[in-house]
Amino acid sequence: MSAIDFQQLVDQHYVPLFRFGLTLAKSEAEAADLTQQTFFLWALKGHQLRDRTKAKSWLFTTLYREFLNRRRHEVRFPHVELEELSEDDMSISPNMNEVDSAAVVEALRDLEEPFRAVLALFYLEQFSYQEMADALEIPIGTVMSRLSRGKAQLRQRLVSKEEAAARKIIPIAEEKGTSSHG
Amino acid sequence: MDNREARFILSAYRPGGQDAADPQFYEALAQARRDPLLERWFNDSVAFDRTVTEKLSAVEVPAGLRESILAGGKVSRPSPWTKPFVRWAIAAALVLAAIAGSLVLREAAKPRLAAWQTNALSQVSALVEGESKFDAQSHNAGSLVAWLHANRASAAQKLPQNLERLESLGCKTFFWQGQPVSVICFQRTDGGLIHLVMTNASAPFNQAGKSETKFVRQGNWATATWRDGTTVYMLALEGPPDQLRSYLL
Repeated sequence: MSAIDFQQLVDQHYVPLFRFGLTLAKSEAEAADLTQQTFFLWALKGHQLRDRTKAKSWLFTTLYREFLNRRRHEVRFPHVELEELSEDDMSISPNMNEVDSAAVVEALRDLEEPFRAVLALFYLEQFSYQEMADALEIPIGTVMSRLSRGKAQLRQRLVSKEEAAARKIIPIAEEKGTSSHG
Repeated sequence: MDNREARFILSAYRPGGQDAADPQFYEALAQARRDPLLERWFNDSVAFDRTVTEKLSAVEVPAGLRESILAGGKVSRPSPWTKPFVRWAIAAALVLAAIAGSLVLREAAKPRLAAWQTNALSQVSALVEGESKFDAQSHNAGSLVAWLHANRASAAQKLPQNLERLESLGCKTFFWQGQPVSVICFQRTDGGLIHLVMTNASAPFNQAGKSETKFVRQGNWATATWRDGTTVYMLALEGPPDQLRSYLL
């Protein structure tokens, strides 16, 4: 791949890749590093990909794998119970006019990792359920389940943040100092 | 199909309408058209998804990231040795280099910065030009070192003596191929800036294995790199190398 081709690929995908990494990683620095590492791997191995139309999928899959590799020694992959959805879960509506980009990113980061990945691909890159299944190497049914549960949890997180901001939560340390006697 | 099933499937329906013709969604969409409650839920879901997409699309990327990626790619691409034309071209270039002789040898012998150092200078430039922000700011360098330690970033146990006398501006942390790198920026007494980059002395930074200081000039940058214990340092300023040496005494 020529330098110009590489640059074109970077220009086309580095922003959405970074945003995807940001929803997975703990910090902007880690997201930037995941993005750099992904393109570094492309520079080394991308020439092996015969179908260049699959480059986008390759990049997102690679970033996700890099993320999982880094987490492997840190946290066990949490088992996600597919709970029954309640009507309440599906009807919670945060006021999106009061929510900014940072709050959405933060709410996504609060979710468990399996939900974060599918939601990020869904919202950032408008991946279809099939593309997500391919990129994350999971069954289509699992994609749909995680989307369904993940969106409900995302709504709950956003509402919680809205409510917390409205109540002006007092830090725990201050509350202990004002606890009543007897 | 009941509404619960329909909602499950419609959760994967993309807000841009790309799935309108996907048979996977036909039955669920038909159900939504028949049931006003489900339809209301679906419209609300699509509106929510559309808004989240817009919010996430507004997230900015760090300044200098594109340049870092391109710089990394430049040093990572495999050499096209297998192409016959390239082999011929390289052979011809070598012949020309041999004819040119002393000039080529002199050029090859010039010390160069490693990719991580070039990336670090790119990060520093972004800070200087206001394209990125410090992670922490203080005029007391000791406080910045303490902040770096507290945040488990690469940091010196002790700063070079002549830097301790300077007023610090701030520090920033980033990663290079998974390795943490930190930089502290200082104000020189002549009004210019000088920057101390620090990282852990582990692979792939083996070029800094020796403890003697290596001076390299790259563009406008004068740099000095050395290792002390488990930390690799690079001191950098935009200006002549002699100005740099005075801070290493």
